[in-house]
Amino acid sequence: MIRLLAMIGAATLGGLAAVGRIALFTASTFRHLVTQPFYGREFGQALYQIGFLSLPVVGLTALFTGGALALQIYSGGARFSAEAVVPQIVAIGMVRELGPVLVGLMIAARVTSSIAAEIATMKVTEQIDALVTLSTHPMKYLTVPRVLAATLVMPALVGVGDIIGILGGYIVGTERLGFNAASYLQNTVDFLEQRDVVSSLVKGAVFGFIAALMGCYFGMKAGRGASGVGAATKGAVVAAAVLILVANLILTEAFFSI
Amino acid sequence: MITVSGLTKTFGNNAVLRSVDLHVDKGQSLVVIGGSGTGKSVLIKCIIGLITPDAGKIIIDGQDVTRSGHDNLLHRFGMLFQASALFDSLPVWENVCFRMLRSGQSRSDLRDLAAEKLRRVGLGPDVADKLPAELSGGMQKRVGLARAIAADPEIIFFDEPTAGLDPILASVINDLIREITTEMGATAITITHDMSSVHAIADQVAMIHDGVVQWHGNIGALDQTDDAHVRQFITGSAIGPIPTLR
Repeated sequence: MIRLLAMIGAATLGGLAAVGRIALFTASTFRHLVTQPFYGREFGQALYQIGFLSLPVVGLTALFTGGALALQIYSGGARFSAEAVVPQIVAIGMVRELGPVLVGLMIAARVTSSIAAEIATMKVTEQIDALVTLSTHPMKYLTVPRVLAATLVMPALVGVGDIIGILGGYIVGTERLGFNAASYLQNTVDFLEQRDVVSSLVKGAVFGFIAALMGCYFGMKAGRGASGVGAATKGAVVAAAVLILVANLILTEAFFSI
Repeated sequence: MITVSGLTKTFGNNAVLRSVDLHVDKGQSLVVIGGSGTGKSVLIKCIIGLITPDAGKIIIDGQDVTRSGHDNLLHRFGMLFQASALFDSLPVWENVCFRMLRSGQSRSDLRDLAAEKLRRVGLGPDVADKLPAELSGGMQKRVGLARAIAADPEIIFFDEPTAGLDPILASVINDLIREITTEMGATAITITHDMSSVHAIADQVAMIHDGVVQWHGNIGALDQTDDAHVRQFITGSAIGPIPTLR
């Protein structure tokens, strides 16, 4: 019994310590964000890597999810004669929830892993030490450009994901389920509110911040050797995915609580 | 120029440096030798500010950097890392001139400067636009050396400069280090296991063993010393006061 309690206590303390370290890292990121110098070239590269190069995976994920969602709503709605709500539910489902969450998780898989592996490799090969000796702060050079780029570009990615997801529902709705194209679009546009779109974009920004921050944090804290890089990458993706889902619940509550 | 006194650093239960005292005069080249895991790298990283010591003082050019930090001294340092530590994503010339990329100088001027530094370490201008991954280990080491000297630093640190190189290339790198530090008048601290490096580079030699400086003297005195630890290290004998695993 005492052993069990000791294990629970150790795990709790370990978890709280990790939360503390991440909080300090976040505070340090904000501090370096508002002080000179700013590495514009690295920021531009991060925008390209995180934003432009993520478009294919975001588009494909949203397209197939939107199509599948239309099929599910149609078959589920048929149980109580509500097949006609497919356009509205696809729109609200994609924009409020699936768009930001799926794009966030795809970015966690693609970008967080890439950032964590890159920075962890830089750490184990002493490139981060080299940055310091060359009068360059690693937080300013590595963390700030990536976190800022992800935070700014993710709303755009989520917007694209929302639109393509609705397009996926539209294609399935009109080609497979027999909806009229014009009325499908009209229903989609009429049903969406400004609050839905704003919440989607805000979620995108928050998820982008989390995804990049976790990649940088775990990369910077990586242990030695190849196993250190692997552990950092795995930890970053898991932490980013879990935090994105937690943040999604909090933001949904904040935007849509009655 | 550089004085280290009572430097202590412990990782967990492992006291790596127990009270290290060292002094290097301006323009001198100190080589620190010692077995693997004796804290040579930790010592150099404490001096350059990459690791914070638990206790002791590091005074560089009269400034106690253990209190004031290293930030205002970093521009006077150059460092060659053991595995070169070149930035994978940048071409060679940007690696060489990394420190100056945000100095306001034009990129074409910096590229010319990089070409000049690369020439100094025996590399042609064709290397400038390559990525580090496209170079051999020896060429990467030369690029690392070019980066270390690019801003004409007053103090240069060399961490195992010949590790992983064949004896001929190691000799070339040793000669380059000696020539460049002499020509620049720089103060140098090198850590190495390689006795050929010691003889090629050193004015002064210090041996670290068991977390303290076991022996410190002129290079000329190294081969004559009666210190059993130094004798065992320079002869590479398995028998002596330094414990070995067989």
